[in-house]
Amino acid sequence: MMLSDTYTIFWREMKRYKKSRSGILIRLIQPAIWIIVIGNTFASTRPLIQSVGFGGSYIEFMAPGVIMLTAIFTSIFGGVNTLWDRRYGFMNKALAAPISRSSIALGKMLAISLISALQSSLILGIALALGVHISNLLIVLPIMLVVIAFSLGFSGISVIVAATSKSQETFWGVINFLGMPLFMLSPALFPLELLPHWLAFVARLNPVTYSVLLIRQMMTGTVQPFSIVLDVSVICLFVLAMVGLASYVFTREVNKPF
Amino acid sequence: MYAVETDKLSKIYHSGLKAVDEISIKIENGEIFGFLGPNGAGKSTTIMILTTLLKPTSGKANVAGYDVMTQAKSVRQNIGYVQQDSTVDEYLTGRENLELQAKLNHIPRDIIKKRIDDILEIVELVDRQNEAVVAYSGGMRKRLDIAGGLLHRPKVLFLDEPTLGLDIQTRYKIWDYIKKIHDEFRTSIFLTTHYMEEADKLCNSISIIDHGKIKITGSPKELKSALGNEMVVFELDSDKNLDKLISELRRIPTVKDISTDGSEITVFTTSGDQLIPQIFQNASTLEVKIESISLTKPTLDDVFLSHTGRDLREDNGKYDRKKERERIRKIRV
Repeated sequence: MMLSDTYTIFWREMKRYKKSRSGILIRLIQPAIWIIVIGNTFASTRPLIQSVGFGGSYIEFMAPGVIMLTAIFTSIFGGVNTLWDRRYGFMNKALAAPISRSSIALGKMLAISLISALQSSLILGIALALGVHISNLLIVLPIMLVVIAFSLGFSGISVIVAATSKSQETFWGVINFLGMPLFMLSPALFPLELLPHWLAFVARLNPVTYSVLLIRQMMTGTVQPFSIVLDVSVICLFVLAMVGLASYVFTREVNKPF
Repeated sequence: MYAVETDKLSKIYHSGLKAVDEISIKIENGEIFGFLGPNGAGKSTTIMILTTLLKPTSGKANVAGYDVMTQAKSVRQNIGYVQQDSTVDEYLTGRENLELQAKLNHIPRDIIKKRIDDILEIVELVDRQNEAVVAYSGGMRKRLDIAGGLLHRPKVLFLDEPTLGLDIQTRYKIWDYIKKIHDEFRTSIFLTTHYMEEADKLCNSISIIDHGKIKITGSPKELKSALGNEMVVFELDSDKNLDKLISELRRIPTVKDISTDGSEITVFTTSGDQLIPQIFQNASTLEVKIESISLTKPTLDDVFLSHTGRDLREDNGKYDRKKERERIRKIRV
């Protein structure tokens, strides 16, 4: 029952996504600007990046970072419709129906992470069009799996914030406070090895770091087994924790008057 | 077994606001029950408790035979809830909205299609079913909402202000649907409304609620005749001796109730034609001049006003930000 309930909500969210075609393109503009503008602005940092062992150009270095940027923001913004649903009565309709409550949260999160992967794959396409080289085209599939998993965790954060905020203003305030620092405090734009120690330490506490490192290894084809195991386990732990916490917080919060 | 049965049901919000105050109601199976009251009287809070969206502070409530606190899931399987504001997804088609509703309510996959076809027939949306709801008019959305609430054939249907903001033609149409649904599926209906005409036309039984308390319960006919079957409305040229005149009139045995609005006085009575000369007699002894007088029959509006008073519910019109927010939040849920 739980599975089919989750699928029901997932189905609804995906229908809504499909009908908002303009949104799909608008959400691509920002990451596209990042990859084009920042990618070219910092092109001359190539010697710095090569000094820590990265062979390619700066755009190739930062492409995984921009894929993660897309994933972070698509998924962390994704929960906002929870607020609309509560305001406009869909939530009450669902809550007064026999459907299980945690599956409402799960269905939303699954839909958000799939949408996030779709958006990220478009950005990956743009990167390839700009001449970013990847080791093997088939590697796109595992990269997307990483993006889906990571986005599931981040959509959990989004659902938690949406379920506990009473207004749009609170939601956007908290989300913007979280999103940018999480992106910046990672090796998305610059190698960890070149950061001051304390910053590198903080970055190592950030799940974004592990996803960026993992995707960068996959794209360049320089896979180190130990690092892969570490990255994958950090991401898995993060996702499990967030999904669990989000469905707990969601079911608790929706029982309170909005 | 009753469709809805509550026993001293109360809800006190964190702010200390007693939204529902020891309400006890009994709704027979198959009945259309009207729940009337001014804005902020506690109607929405009561509906939210009965639909398991809000936990009561104290008291008991059973819906379709199940306890809303301990058997919430069974309650949810047996109710339909059509909210005041439209809750359909604008970017989905009418049919997709109903499919979603069917899945939310665990209707077996193999009968979903037929159920949707049947209900679209009843609310006359067959032709427009494959259009996105964003192109629907307010009346069509409401019909879709009502269809969604009925899809799983609930035992008890909650309709919160089903005709609010609709034109008269649509309103009559919606009343027809409600009657049709009630006759066809023997659904018990719990209806809140501000339109007394609606309650009068549809309901077998009515309760009037104000400040969280039930003021009176009965059939529309009973409530009207409790006020006497007639009412005399007259206007004085000034409010001099107004109080004296009223207390004189109250002594007349056929007078049931008196209400005033400025210099306009309404007397509820069992025999209006005999009362009119007595009013004139009393007025001339007190040297009060009557400007106009008329004899009519009370409507549910009069019943409502006589139990809830004429005061507006905005607390002296003073704008209290915190209270206002509290009120909006309550309405919203």
